[in-house]
Amino acid sequence: MDVSGILEEHKNKFKPIQVDRLIPTEFDLGLLACFDMNMLDDNRLRAGQQSRDRYLKELSREGAQQMINELFGLPTTVDEDSVYATLPKTTTVLPREKPIPKEKPPTRWEKFAKIKGIQKRKSTGKVFDEDQGEWRRKYGYKGVNNDDQKPWLIEVPGKADQYQDQYQVRRDEKKARIEKNTRRNQRNVEENVAVEKGMKPHEMRKRELQKALVLSKQSTASLGKFDTKLKGEPKTKGLKRKFDPLVGSADSEKSKNMDILNRVAKGESKATVINVRKAQRAVNNAKRAAASKSK
Amino acid sequence: NEIHPFEDETGIEFFARKNDSSLFAVGMHSKKRPHNLILGRTFNYQILDMIEMGVERCTTMQEHKSQACSVGMKPLMVFNGEAFNRDENLVRLKSILLDLFRGEVADKVSLKGLEYIITVTAGPPGPNGETGLVFFRTYTTSLKKSGLRQPRVELEEMGPSLDLRIRRVRLPTEDMWKLAVQVPKELKVVKVKNISRDGLGDKYGRVHLGKQEINKIQTRKVRALKKNLDGGKPGKRQKMDVDTE
Repeated sequence: MDVSGILEEHKNKFKPIQVDRLIPTEFDLGLLACFDMNMLDDNRLRAGQQSRDRYLKELSREGAQQMINELFGLPTTVDEDSVYATLPKTTTVLPREKPIPKEKPPTRWEKFAKIKGIQKRKSTGKVFDEDQGEWRRKYGYKGVNNDDQKPWLIEVPGKADQYQDQYQVRRDEKKARIEKNTRRNQRNVEENVAVEKGMKPHEMRKRELQKALVLSKQSTASLGKFDTKLKGEPKTKGLKRKFDPLVGSADSEKSKNMDILNRVAKGESKATVINVRKAQRAVNNAKRAAASKSK
Repeated sequence: NEIHPFEDETGIEFFARKNDSSLFAVGMHSKKRPHNLILGRTFNYQILDMIEMGVERCTTMQEHKSQACSVGMKPLMVFNGEAFNRDENLVRLKSILLDLFRGEVADKVSLKGLEYIITVTAGPPGPNGETGLVFFRTYTTSLKKSGLRQPRVELEEMGPSLDLRIRRVRLPTEDMWKLAVQVPKELKVVKVKNISRDGLGDKYGRVHLGKQEINKIQTRKVRALKKNLDGGKPGKRQKMDVDTE
């Protein structure tokens, strides 16, 4: 039985899928890309538009054929009537969009857990509710913990006032817990900021308080000279209010007033009037920005 | 709104920041640079690299009356020509085009969903060795029976085709590129060391002991092996002899 003849006939019915290349094509199937380093027929590329396009189409068909051959050789999974090929990891180096995020410094709890060796346990997040006979969330939407109906009866504890609303007590305690949690989160954030700046969080808080003190003193007409002092408050330096003497030379007073009048009459433009304070702050900011950039 | 990326980066950087996008394309036309197309990438909202090309010939999707493919498909990309590995500008172009047309990152692809292919071919270089034209073509694929597992591919030109001439290229600065290409520790491939399998499939591990000081190994104490016995105190030895005698 001459099977080879039949096979040849069968083969000739279909167009070939083999593509031969001198230098084997490189594939990056993770990106669905292939790189063909073979020599191109420059004459055909330099030729007229139509023949060039035909050559390009031939090249493209062969490239596509090679890729399809490779892709159909990958391990496949069947999912909902369609066959998926599992792509390998990409080999080409492509740049990231944004830099790698910095590691967050550990929170107070994380530090404690590390010292004690406490491991994080993963829970499913759902609790079985006996009354309803179904799995409900521990917290959140329709959660077990914020179900007002849950304890249909609360016993008055021994020491409490008889007429106190125990449901209200529950609600107040929950609010207090939430507040405590947010305060702790805020504290963690502040501590992270302080660590990033290189200061201890206690130091940072102290500095902020001192700054606030000085600013608040400036807001009084007497610059805080007569404010009641706190215990241990340092003496604020440099806050002085200067008053010109009531009786002085008439000339100096005249020249001062003339200055003011001239300025008003001229209508000085914003450009000539420099706010020294703002200018100094701008310069300081620029210096700080340059210093942090160069770091 | 005039944006000239090669002259002034701030325009692009502003848009990248506002739209939170890292790939950009700018098209413009001027007498000096007709039909200009600039493709580029940003890293951390700063321009990483960009390439300016002049479109010398272009055909639109409407001109090719073939069936367009569905939106959102991942294209197959083919790069023809060794120039894409040799010429600095073309290497950059290849990188940018791969990024631009990558689409959604996927680890699985439906074998029926390979609908279109983009081909980029490097034309012959100019007389002074300058980069030649780059031919950008798009085709839809149709998979036909071939009698074997892999189908036969037939192409039909769809979509835009462009003949591009590279004008200016802005390469990324060393340090920016290094940062952009950094792989975080978690994703780095960990090499498995000291574990091997033999022909039968058994797993073997290798344990490395340090240098062993044979003299100082703690063994069971045998009096006869004591160091002092030969050249030590003669008195003690003699005593023993007296006893046994």
